Amino acid sequence: MSRHVLQAVGLVRRYGGLTAVDHVDLVAPPGMITGLIGPNGAGKSTLFSLLTGVEQPDEGKVVLGSTDITKMRPDIRSRRGLVQTFQVPSLFPTLTVADNLLVGAENRRRDYAGGLLGLSAQGRGRISHSAERVLERLGLAPKGPVTQIVEEVLDSLGLSDVRDTIAGTLPTGALRLVEFARALCARPDILLLDEPASGLDSEETAKLSQLLRRTAADGVGIVIVDHDVDLVFSVVDQVYAMVGGRVVASGDPETVRNDPTVRSVYLAQAPLAAAGHSGEAR
Amino acid sequence: MTSIDLALAGVSLGAIAALSGIGLLVTYRTNGVLNLAQGGIATLVAYVFREMVVEWNLPIWLAAVFSLAVVSPGIGLLLERLVFRPLARRRASAAESLVASLGVLVLSLGITAGIWGLGSRSDAPSIFPNSSVRLFGDTRIGVDALAELVMVIVFAGVIGLIAARTAFGRQIRAVVDDRQLAELSGVPADKVAAAGWAAGTTMAGLTGILLAPRFQLTPYGLTLLVLETFAVVVAARLSSMPVAVLTALGIAILQSELKQFTLHGDAGQILTVLQSNLFIVALLVLLLAVPKLRELGSGDSGATASFSSRGAPPSGRVSGVRLRQDYLGKLGGGALLLAPLTFAPSDLRSAFMVPALALIFLSMVIVTGYSGQLSLGAAGFAGLGALLSLKLANGDLFGLPAMPGIVSMFVGALFVAPIGLITGYPAIRRRGLTLALTTFAVGAVVSRFVFEQPTFATGLYLDPLSLFGWELSEKAFYVFELICLGIGLLVVRNLHHGRLGRALLALRDHSEGAAAVGVDVRNLKLLAFTVSSVVAGLGGALLVHSSYSFSADDFAPLQSLLWFTAVVVFGADSAAGAIVAAAFMVTIDVLAPAGSSTLAIGILALALGWMPGGLASAVRGGLRLLAQYLADSFVDPNQRAPRPVPVRISAVGHLPATTGITGLTGIPGIGSTLGAARAGHYARWPLSGSQDGLPADAPRLTPFGASLVAMVQQYTAAQTAGARRRQATDPDGAPRPTVPRPAGPTPTGAGAGAHPAEGGRA
Repeated sequence: MSRHVLQAVGLVRRYGGLTAVDHVDLVAPPGMITGLIGPNGAGKSTLFSLLTGVEQPDEGKVVLGSTDITKMRPDIRSRRGLVQTFQVPSLFPTLTVADNLLVGAENRRRDYAGGLLGLSAQGRGRISHSAERVLERLGLAPKGPVTQIVEEVLDSLGLSDVRDTIAGTLPTGALRLVEFARALCARPDILLLDEPASGLDSEETAKLSQLLRRTAADGVGIVIVDHDVDLVFSVVDQVYAMVGGRVVASGDPETVRNDPTVRSVYLAQAPLAAAGHSGEAR
Repeated sequence: MTSIDLALAGVSLGAIAALSGIGLLVTYRTNGVLNLAQGGIATLVAYVFREMVVEWNLPIWLAAVFSLAVVSPGIGLLLERLVFRPLARRRASAAESLVASLGVLVLSLGITAGIWGLGSRSDAPSIFPNSSVRLFGDTRIGVDALAELVMVIVFAGVIGLIAARTAFGRQIRAVVDDRQLAELSGVPADKVAAAGWAAGTTMAGLTGILLAPRFQLTPYGLTLLVLETFAVVVAARLSSMPVAVLTALGIAILQSELKQFTLHGDAGQILTVLQSNLFIVALLVLLLAVPKLRELGSGDSGATASFSSRGAPPSGRVSGVRLRQDYLGKLGGGALLLAPLTFAPSDLRSAFMVPALALIFLSMVIVTGYSGQLSLGAAGFAGLGALLSLKLANGDLFGLPAMPGIVSMFVGALFVAPIGLITGYPAIRRRGLTLALTTFAVGAVVSRFVFEQPTFATGLYLDPLSLFGWELSEKAFYVFELICLGIGLLVVRNLHHGRLGRALLALRDHSEGAAAVGVDVRNLKLLAFTVSSVVAGLGGALLVHSSYSFSADDFAPLQSLLWFTAVVVFGADSAAGAIVAAAFMVTIDVLAPAGSSTLAIGILALALGWMPGGLASAVRGGLRLLAQYLADSFVDPNQRAPRPVPVRISAVGHLPATTGITGLTGIPGIGSTLGAARAGHYARWPLSGSQDGLPADAPRLTPFGASLVAMVQQYTAAQTAGARRRQATDPDGAPRPTVPRPAGPTPTGAGAGAHPAEGGRA
């Protein structure tokens, strides 16, 4: 299965007189980790909302693979393979961890009416489903592809122990992990992570960066927005640095780290007037 | 009458609506609670006032002073102290406050109806003399209108000044922004909140006293009139007082102006309805036009997770014991529902209402309990189902041929689906308070424009139901009702299971999170509303057949509020709770005077502050506690196996239900106060001894548990041995108790009772 590239082309978002995102281009290829850094108010979060579909751009478009997804709602984007996590972990607190993951795994289709009539929980038609039901009652049900994904993810993230815990009772670190797991269960091409390290201690952060590397190695593209510049630089393949709504530097971490504008912003040595002088997207 | 005369005639009503709006805004801006009980309080005060003047023969001024300076603010202070302060203290969600104010509404209605009955009274006294003042030429304005106008200006001005110019106004804003923070900064938050409540209820009382002489005084009628003035605060987007006042005057004058037109035919009929119902139409139109009110706080996401008494049923394999318990519960419930079949005919007829009402309640479980949308329009759907099925049976709808009664019920219910779908659309973008008001307005408009219209709701006749030419007896009808209820339960069950069930719960718990992983939020909401409307429609159709007549009162908008409160009280996400709620209300109404069920529901609703998941959750929690207690007395907490998972149970007694939504801690919990918090703990220590996780070996039992187990073993061994012996020798041995009881506190038992496992749980 080939995975799709996420592209932002000339995105603009204005709030009244303020241009929060100003002609931003961005390419997030599968299998790579793309970081998005910038000081407060640089437009990172707005750009993130434009990518996830929570907000609509005033100009420009968002493209996933070869499809223009600019006008699509977040849930449709998600079904197409663009899955996000939130700054504040957004689990379903009354469901168990396993059920949280199942929701992630099983919503690439949307035929809910069948469920209403008690049909086709796995989309395999009425008869096979009834048979499955009987088997399930007898405790002999074969694992469907959906449950299989959930079990695999639970296993690989070491969450098997909490699979039947009600999600609302978990501590923050675990919540982040479960949210990440839920996103993985949705089989994303591109994962958008909004400050995944906030609220984690250093040990948990280290684990997170390992996990990100592993996920990217499996071919998933990751876009990560975080204040933790150390985390971002330690884990990403490419970085976009934003200041004042524009991308002021992009490229591999080393290049961006040594970029004079980025240095001036982060080390506060020079005014921000230089913003935008260096190359935008490649 | 000229336009100017009509306008002046409208001023009085407008001014009263403005006063009501000011009261609502004051309460909202000081407490963050949109006081749905405003109408109920207004009615109660109006009745008190009338009682003092008409029955006790007090002078009007004295009665007015007593009602407005003592009774009304007293009600406000009591409400603040007993109901809303505890909610604010535990940072209850807006949805919970909404339900609490619904509870107050239902309670005040119950009190009014309980004391003065449901009948109408036309002798409500007026504060102002029935005279008028000449303005210019022949144009005169009533003294009452003038006085009311002056009151509006004075109150709005004074409150505006207080809010903008004084330190007290700043304190109010601080308290509303963040009550705890304000208290930490030395603001007397409780006093501010109490002042807001007292002012709000005083305005409510004033509204009631002024409105009563203009209309017939009935508990439901006057309450609804006041509720209609919510249009005013919606126009003000819950914040601007001048906008509220101007809107009130504008709508009232426009409504009055409409009286100079007459049209014929259907348009004329609509106009006639508009002439007295412009406020409710304005409410709906404004709600549809204003997508988002300026709700205080986070305007939390429907936040009905707080109504849920539990999460999804476990998707893993359910243990045999649990399954057997489930089946036992279902059998018991079924037997109770079948019991009326053995009743005398008159009692059986009373029981007809139960399955019908239960279906309507189930429809609310679907929308509110499972998908987390506040819907206050159930009566509208139920009434439409009833009306459409009757019309179909009479062959009076869209030229369709007359259908057999039973078929017409199902078809009629299905015809409600499009209306449910349309109502669902506003729910896509609206949440919380706005959605609640929108659905209420839909129900009210349907009631006024359809149920109360002679064209639609007269000339209907109810044929006895028949199936294949065989006329249904009363018993057969009841069985048919149960079958319908069974269908409803099946739908509910399917909505709560598998992928669909999980998706709905995900939507309820965190709609953005659900969208983020591909749950089709929009269509799921529409599906929930549509299915719910059909179920309610079927319930309504049955309700009509069980009461033998169609009456607009049965499906009045206030019924929706009462029913909604009942459903929440009995556990909004519990199908069994819905059935119990229906049985409860019908039983009380049969046994006690009319209005008693309203009173009972009101009292229970106020108790929700202490049991957030409703009665269903409290019962579940109680059972869990009992099981927990038993488990604790058997298992020594200090010798338990180490926990396999590094998970801590929240110590505050609630699960942090909205952890993901606002990131605050200590937010009102899902689930019962006691039971759910221990659920995770209990889950690891199941009662059935054979499962892994429970240390069945002797050293891990408490001394008390060990001695008890030993006693049981000894006893059963003795029993079986004894039985064998008796079988052999003495066939008529006396029966013995089968449950072993420890006769007295054994030395070890007393010790075990003293440390009931608290230490191991912290």
